Amino acid sequence: MDKCIACGLCAQKCPKKTDDPYNAGISKRKAIYLQYSQTVPLKYAIDPEACLYFSKGKCQACVKFCPTGAINFEDKGETRSIQVGSVILAPGYKAFDPSGLSTYGYGRISDVVTGLEYERLLSAGGPNLGHLIRPSDHQEPKKVAWVQCVGSRNTTEGGNSYCSTVCCMYAVKQSLVTAEHLSGDGLSQTIFFMDLRSHNKEFERYYQDAKAKGVRFIKSRPHSIEAGPNNIGVKVAYLTQDGAKITEDFDMLVLSVGLEAPQDAPALAEKFGINLDHHNFVKTGSFTPNATARDGIYVCGACRSPKAIPRSVTEASAAATEATRSLVEARGTLTREKTYPPERDVSLETPRLGVFVCSCGINIAGTVDVQEVAEYARELPNVAFVENNLFTCSTDTQELIAQKIKELNLNRIVVAACTPRTHEPLFQDTLREAGLNPYLLEMANIRNQNSWVHQKEPGAATAKAKDQVRMAVAKASRDYALERGAVEVVQKALVVGGGVAGLTAALELGERGYDTVLLEKAGKLGGNAWSFYKTWKGDAIRPWLSDLIAVVENHPKVNVLKNATLKTVAGSVGNFTSEVEVNGVPETVKYGIAVLATGGREYKPQEYLYGQDPRVMTHLEFDGELRDKAATVQKASSAVFIQCVGSREPERPYCSRVCCTHTVHSAVKLKELNPDMRVYVLYRDMRTYGLREELYTKARELGVIFIKYYPDSKPQVFKDGDDLKIEVTDPILQMPVKLTADYLVLSAAIVPNDNQGLVELFKAGMNADGFFNEAHPKLRPVDLNVDGLFLAGLCHHPKPLEESVSQAKAAVSRAGIILAKEVMQLDAVKSQVTEKCDGCALCLDVCPYQALKLEEYRDNGHAHRRVVSDKALCKGCGVCEATCPKEGVTIHHFTREQLKAQVDAALESLN
Amino acid sequence: MSDNFEPVILGFLCNWCAYAGADLAGVSRMQYPPNMRVVRVNCSGMVHPDLVVHALNKGADGVMVMG
Amino acid sequence: MVIVNIMTLAKEIGVHRNTIRNWVKTGRINARPGPGKGLLFTPEDFRAMCREFTLNPEQFPVKELGRQAAGAPVSLTPTPKSLKTREEQVSDKVIGSVMVVGGGIAGIQASLDLAGQGYYVYLVEKSAGIGGKMSQLDKTYPTNDCAM
Repeated sequence: MDKCIACGLCAQKCPKKTDDPYNAGISKRKAIYLQYSQTVPLKYAIDPEACLYFSKGKCQACVKFCPTGAINFEDKGETRSIQVGSVILAPGYKAFDPSGLSTYGYGRISDVVTGLEYERLLSAGGPNLGHLIRPSDHQEPKKVAWVQCVGSRNTTEGGNSYCSTVCCMYAVKQSLVTAEHLSGDGLSQTIFFMDLRSHNKEFERYYQDAKAKGVRFIKSRPHSIEAGPNNIGVKVAYLTQDGAKITEDFDMLVLSVGLEAPQDAPALAEKFGINLDHHNFVKTGSFTPNATARDGIYVCGACRSPKAIPRSVTEASAAATEATRSLVEARGTLTREKTYPPERDVSLETPRLGVFVCSCGINIAGTVDVQEVAEYARELPNVAFVENNLFTCSTDTQELIAQKIKELNLNRIVVAACTPRTHEPLFQDTLREAGLNPYLLEMANIRNQNSWVHQKEPGAATAKAKDQVRMAVAKASRDYALERGAVEVVQKALVVGGGVAGLTAALELGERGYDTVLLEKAGKLGGNAWSFYKTWKGDAIRPWLSDLIAVVENHPKVNVLKNATLKTVAGSVGNFTSEVEVNGVPETVKYGIAVLATGGREYKPQEYLYGQDPRVMTHLEFDGELRDKAATVQKASSAVFIQCVGSREPERPYCSRVCCTHTVHSAVKLKELNPDMRVYVLYRDMRTYGLREELYTKARELGVIFIKYYPDSKPQVFKDGDDLKIEVTDPILQMPVKLTADYLVLSAAIVPNDNQGLVELFKAGMNADGFFNEAHPKLRPVDLNVDGLFLAGLCHHPKPLEESVSQAKAAVSRAGIILAKEVMQLDAVKSQVTEKCDGCALCLDVCPYQALKLEEYRDNGHAHRRVVSDKALCKGCGVCEATCPKEGVTIHHFTREQLKAQVDAALESLN
Repeated sequence: MSDNFEPVILGFLCNWCAYAGADLAGVSRMQYPPNMRVVRVNCSGMVHPDLVVHALNKGADGVMVMG
Repeated sequence: MVIVNIMTLAKEIGVHRNTIRNWVKTGRINARPGPGKGLLFTPEDFRAMCREFTLNPEQFPVKELGRQAAGAPVSLTPTPKSLKTREEQVSDKVIGSVMVVGGGIAGIQASLDLAGQGYYVYLVEKSAGIGGKMSQLDKTYPTNDCAM
């Protein structure tokens, strides 16, 4: 494996084709293959099922053509025994296979594909390079439709009873991306859905945007799907809400297949001694969402319930926190840092360049005349040594480079080979081992951006390679040693907010040995959780909460400050200082990271007679009745729930995510207390995502009546004598229904607390709804865009308790990466203010990281202004450099002079 | 313009997206004309307008800033 | 942190519950008052206390917050006994490494976090490359970013 250079000759020569599972089987790959073009590790593998040598005992074409001798048919799987402190299981999910559901015609009708197959059809890296064509006749489809809940929310014929959580959104996404792929007249996208579930952050806007862009949403489950004439296209028959029977032709139909537990889940569970639920998802508790029944074994991701990427990533970090709890004392005992010889100071030497031109077997040499390029390089200014190597990245060439650096006193190195994106770190390491600063290296990308893309023009490719080497030499000659800055880390934490998320974060930070200050603005810890009765899984919250608070308040590492507010914030990642006011008394807190967990609150409704009739209450108020006055509640003869009160409204266009589950949970409780009670739920879309769907099913089985309403005909609530009446139009009966309620429970929205002050103090980002913005919605869901800040709980987006707990634990894991180190290394590619800066401050406005500040200084008795850059905040994007009219600020390694030298070198032949 | 006109194009490619895309084109062996010379930048936002003008003055037929 | 019920502890040691409270006040027992009738120990202090009063820490009913759902008794030994009966070697020393099973986006993120915090990670993936299902996706909602 070490020898493979991923040149791909083996796959080119391999005579055996087989279905490519990466492309969901819609295209072929060879028996020797790269899993996908960006795969890590970037090494070819042999599929023993398909390989002719393994199945028939002959061929070995790959061995013959491999230029590095990387193929070893004798390689055997081996069993290794490793000792670990804990285990995290992240086996993922299996996409539902709709072959068993005959009604959908999958496998029989050519133009019916699954969501995952469609994903590959759309992908630029897919079988058609992103050109969307349908399978039957390879024509572009005009009318595309999606059917939701295929294999999900389906208790019959081999489906799953739960909601797969992600399919609504991926169908909406695919419909929007489809529109971008196609052009011409008569295009349409149609989504057949049951309830459209867009309940996570910015999802509702995305859904509304799709509607505005013309995607057609039809609330119906098609009852028959047939092939078009000659098995081209699809005929879909469905009933509309008002009972009309429609048959419609589509060019293509996508089945929004759901997620299932991985096939090997039972085997894994057996091996690790953990418990699975009846769907084979890993069982976890309400308050320990990432812990299994067994200490030391933790889980994250879709293997414990269907979920999308952000929650999987959050849980992964949370599981990392769980996994380290018992290992704190062994932290750092098995990892090690590499050491290097001291760096040679080359600042006073004239540039002496070594140029190494790589043949990459025949990958480069097959197209580019590498000898000619090497000869050419010898004539370039400052070049002291040139050599052509078969593989410059090989271990022996690395040694040769280090040897030549020492022997010939080389002080800059140019490697003309593949892309710096994969190989720069390797060569930089070689420089460091030879005592040179790693930033004295340049690479000329003569493989990925030359020989591979100009295979039919060797002459032009060789000319281009010379230009590339000339550009690299020009740049290298102007390279100078860069120092990676360092920040001394204050290994302490600040947690803002003492609700469940803040408490959890503070406890976990304290458990990891970090001194933590927990700031709570109220006089009592616990926040909203005091008002909740039970989790959706039925666990009472107060006993757990009071234990949690007691442990945090008595934790030797956690300092709880109540009635406290944050007044100032100075510094940056690793080293913040704040003034806080505790009961009116100022205090100073120093910390390396902060977790923002400022929470949210229940919206106080203005509608539906709330506040005017005691029978009208919010969920939290009704939870109090259920907890403390169950006997009274039991006597009621009817209860009505209204969903989306204050959510999905023009002034609050997001879904509050938790209310549908809360409603069905309470409705089930009422039916259990009193089976004769009439319980009604007036809803827009029931969004009982994931395994919560089973609670919805149970509510219906117990006789709870669900009536859909539309925002343009909301329920009317009025008093008729002493009676509380609700009138709503039933879309199926197509007539108004009048209900009487002893309790009217409003599913009030979750609104964020006022975060404006913190946003200004920390310069953090906030979305239009007032929730903090994460650094990346998929991949950095608990980091804020300011380094060293993390978020957890309702201040990010409405979420149920277990997700707040997960997110808080995740924040601790992310923070731990910073807190674990006494000194934090920074990247060297940073902005540098030059003496030409006159303090005009144009750059301050454009810096996306607020890394630049204006300072005043006195020189010869005159006041001057200039900009200073904070190396800890700067990311080296250089927007300042491009904005500055007088070269007053520049980026190391990408200075104006270095960029200009490359431009000049590139265009030298024209001048 | 004659039929055999070969423009010289200068490309400023962001290391994190466009440059990565150009690398991927290589891995996928997508063939394209060899007329562009690439300057790798840390972000397309760092390309100063003066640099673009400078390139055009020096004879580049086109400048592409991709990111 | 470990929570121990005062009544249980008093019974096990054979003294009155107020004696235990006094010992906590005077520092004879290194613990803090916890929720309800609970006492809070660090795991080390708990073991030390058990040694002093010759109690078996592994059989003593305790609860540990943040580790298990409240109320569930847990063992303080890092590895359950069931494992020790197997042939695998189980070290009594705490080991600073973690095995992550599955190289999809969740497994990758967990590995990165652990390595960043100073733990050695074994990332186990059954296919030829990491990336999992996310690598098969074209774009991601709600920003339509490229999934790759």
